[in-house]
Amino acid sequence: MSGSVILNWLASTPDFAIPYALAALGLIISERAGVLSLGAEGLMLVGALAGIGAQIAIGQPAVSLVLAMLAASVVSMLFAVMVIWLRVNQVIAGLALVFFCQGLTSLVGSMADWTNHATDGIGTMALWPLSMLPGVGKLFAQNAMVWLTLPIFGAVAWFFARTSTGLRLRAVGENPQAADAAGINVTAWRFAAVLAGSALVGLAGAYISVVSTKLWIAGMTGGRGWIAVGLVIFARWSPWKALVGAVLFGCIEALIPQLAAAGVQLPQYFVMMTPYAVTLGVMVWVALSRRGADEEPGALGQPYVREERR
Amino acid sequence: MAEAFLTADMAHTPATPKTAPLAHDAPRAMQPLARRRYALEIRQHMAWRWQALILAAALFVGFAISAAILVAAGVPADELANEFVTQTFFDGQNFRAVLFQAAPMILVGLAGSIAFRARFWNLGLEGQMIWGAIGATTISMWQIGPENLRLPLMFVAAVGCGLLWVLGPAWLKLKLGVNEIISTLMLNYMAANFLLHLVYGNWKDPKDNFPYSPQFRAFERLPELGGGVGSAILLAGVVALLAWWLVSVSRVGLYLRFVDANPRVAHANGVPVRRTIYGAVLLSGAMAGLAGFAVVAGQEGRLTQAFYQGYGFSGILIAFLARNNPLAATVVALLVAALFVTGRSLQVFYQVPFSMVQLIQAIIVVCVASSDFFIRHRLRRVGGEVLQ
Repeated sequence: MSGSVILNWLASTPDFAIPYALAALGLIISERAGVLSLGAEGLMLVGALAGIGAQIAIGQPAVSLVLAMLAASVVSMLFAVMVIWLRVNQVIAGLALVFFCQGLTSLVGSMADWTNHATDGIGTMALWPLSMLPGVGKLFAQNAMVWLTLPIFGAVAWFFARTSTGLRLRAVGENPQAADAAGINVTAWRFAAVLAGSALVGLAGAYISVVSTKLWIAGMTGGRGWIAVGLVIFARWSPWKALVGAVLFGCIEALIPQLAAAGVQLPQYFVMMTPYAVTLGVMVWVALSRRGADEEPGALGQPYVREERR
Repeated sequence: MAEAFLTADMAHTPATPKTAPLAHDAPRAMQPLARRRYALEIRQHMAWRWQALILAAALFVGFAISAAILVAAGVPADELANEFVTQTFFDGQNFRAVLFQAAPMILVGLAGSIAFRARFWNLGLEGQMIWGAIGATTISMWQIGPENLRLPLMFVAAVGCGLLWVLGPAWLKLKLGVNEIISTLMLNYMAANFLLHLVYGNWKDPKDNFPYSPQFRAFERLPELGGGVGSAILLAGVVALLAWWLVSVSRVGLYLRFVDANPRVAHANGVPVRRTIYGAVLLSGAMAGLAGFAVVAGQEGRLTQAFYQGYGFSGILIAFLARNNPLAATVVALLVAALFVTGRSLQVFYQVPFSMVQLIQAIIVVCVASSDFFIRHRLRRVGGEVLQ
């Protein structure tokens, strides 16, 4: 492989990595609070559709991305009400949310005639002076969302590790009884965590539609939400490890078009299997190494009911 | 509805002194509604007719929301009942279409029920279905076996392939503790891509170059029983009866109930927990494979590229709504099949996208799952006596 192919590959990696990174970060926020969010695949679709809808109607990428986050948050309230107030099994509720969003987005997308409607994306932002470097300079010409993702990760990691609010959130997911005894409103914190996490998941979806492909196709997330769920387990609920995992997945996905462009003959559909096969492999690897099993939030997936016998 | 839960949850916070004098003065029954406090408690038992009433109310809410969406999507309100009930169940041709659609639906519903009984989230029903279809089609493509044995061989191949595709996740879960939700879903995507590889590749029909396999020969297709009813529905009915016998009568069914209630206690009591889970999960895969066979040999007559879409979710939904009971699953599957048939006619007559069917299914699941809360909990007035 020549140098330019490798450079092109690395330069296109962030575009594939960002959706995984943002979705995994959103999932970490809600899972740290003890709510197992299996609905990521559906919320990404909501974000993707809302983003494109806003792009078509308004045409301001920044506005579209924010609206997509809002849309995903609003839809996730359905899930939050089900699992936090009504104590529905979180797996059932998550699956129902995915199917609800799949149906809803493909219905709205075709009724509003947004399918395959090309929009303007967002321009690249060169990180001067690094972008002026000979050769590797093109690695530093990425769109604004790529640069924005790093501070988002920094903020969330700092929030969990360094703020008392973050500590409260983790306490709610680790031991809700103790958190409740300490005067933390478990219900409210979990609700807030689901809404905030879903906003990031929606942003991940909107990145795919608004920034990457610049159009909407029903079911366009293609299982990336599920891969993000696996990625969170791989990252042991740590934001920075999730970012590393996302970049790894981005590298693998970005390699496919580069190899095709370089003229390497590969059976197309087997190549398309790779992200799923890698996810499966990573899950097996995590299970085999059994490292950090105690990092899983203690009350993940359990509804909290004060003074209730179970 | 939301406010009611708000107050219910507010009861968790201790009563503030502010409200206490008011509550003290007013007789309990005459307190203003907003000041009443409720505590939530678990209900140990609820009479079955109340349970049925709550379920009916949930279904009513679900259908009402769905009907509102359908009307918003452009279906005339006065046509809804006609489309859904009269046309589907009381029109001979449409009812045959429902039965035709129901055969694979019943099989995936049973597949979901059996796996969920063993507490295994088999979300890979679509992948196993695809492999069942591929297995059956392989027998046809390679012309294995004599003509009169061809159909039984296809049956066996479908069962075997579906079973093998779920063996991996089952082993990974029981041996290494790998989350089966992710593993079965990933295998779905891989199976779907492999299906595309086949129908766009070597298995493409040489006659017209469309992405599907060549048509099965007459003896490779499930025969008609007469009156336009296919034998696939008979096959599904027999499997449903066998599944019912397995979970309700046989020893395995008892083991499954043990494992579902508490695997550790079951193990301590000498129940072969692992073997029971393996058996249930492999059976689930086999049934899903059989559903693939029912589609390719009973409906399409060939392997097509998207035949499986919607079955995975429907199987999970059917199992959930039927509380994993095989006979109930058969009934629910018939209703879901009717929804599919109606969805197709709505698509033709009112240009309503077929994704509406999935949305309606999801809305019903949300309503029924949420209604469970009212069966398992009750609100109790608190505060009145304590404060006096």
